[in-house]
Amino acid sequence: MIKKLIENSTAKSPWLYHINTGSCNGCDIELVAVLTPRYDAERFGFKLTGTPRHADIVVVSGPVTLQSKDKLIRVLAQVPEPKVVVSLGSCPRSCNVFKGSYSVAGPLDKYTHVDVSVAGCTPKPEAIVAGLAKAAEILKKKREGMS
Amino acid sequence: MFPYLKEAVAQVFGKPSTENFPAVIPEAPDGYRGRIIYHPDLCINCGLCMRVCAPQAMTKTVVPVEDGEQITMSFNMGSCTFCQLCADFCSRHAIEMSKDYMMVVEDEKDLLVSGTFIKKKPVPKPKAPAPAAKAAEETTETCAES
Repeated sequence: MIKKLIENSTAKSPWLYHINTGSCNGCDIELVAVLTPRYDAERFGFKLTGTPRHADIVVVSGPVTLQSKDKLIRVLAQVPEPKVVVSLGSCPRSCNVFKGSYSVAGPLDKYTHVDVSVAGCTPKPEAIVAGLAKAAEILKKKREGMS
Repeated sequence: MFPYLKEAVAQVFGKPSTENFPAVIPEAPDGYRGRIIYHPDLCINCGLCMRVCAPQAMTKTVVPVEDGEQITMSFNMGSCTFCQLCADFCSRHAIEMSKDYMMVVEDEKDLLVSGTFIKKKPVPKPKAPAPAAKAAEETTETCAES
C-alpha cells in the first residue's frame, strides 16, 4: 500500500533537474521565471531539485560544449529510469548560432534521446510550462510501461 | 500597523498574481517574433535569406521537373534564432514572423516550416528574322504606303 502511495505521489509531482551545457543564460532565466509566482509551475507539481538522483525530468539548455559534454553524460547516467529529457530552446536541438564551432560537441540528441523539445530563442514561459506538462504525460506513460 | 492590515485585506480579496495559464493562453505582444510564416507563391528563389541566416536554419532542395525546377524551402524552427533578418532582407515579403510561440513538439519534423513552388524555365526568345528579310519587309511596307 505504501508503494502504491509513493507511486501515486511521484506521478503527480515530477521533479526537475536543470543542466546548463553552455547556454547564454536566456533559457535559464526563463526556466526560473516558470518557477516564480507569476507562472508557478509548482501548481502542477514540478519542483526543482538540486541533485539528478532525485529527478524525473531533466531540462537541458545550451549547445553541448566540449567542457560540459562529459559532465552531461555523467549527470544523465545518474538520473533514475524512467526519465524524460526536455531540450529547452534552439541550442540543444541544433546548436543554433554555435553550429560548427570548435568548442561545441552538440547537438544533444547525439548523446541521449530527446523526448520533448521546446523551440524558441528563448521560449516564452508559457511554452516552457506546456513543454513540461507534455513531459509529465510522457513520464506517466513510461512509468506505466515499466510496471 | 494599519497599512499592513490594508494590504492584507487587499491580498485576501484581490486576484492572485499567478497567471491562469492553461485556461487562458495569452497573446504575445506586438512585434513578438515567433514561428515563421513562409509564402512560397511570393518567393523568387534569390537565396538572400539563406545568406543572412546566422544559424543556417534554412535548407533548399531543388528537383528538376518538366517545365522548370521544383524548389522547396524549409525553415527549421529548432535551429532559428528569431532575429528576423530573413524577413527584413526578403525583397518580396515572402517571409513573415507570426506571434505563435507554442512550439512544443515530440517529433523534430513538426518544427519544420516549408513551402514548395515551381520556378519556370525562361521562355526561349523568338528568333530574330534575318536582316535581309527585314529590309525586304520594310521596303514592301514603304511601297504599300506610297
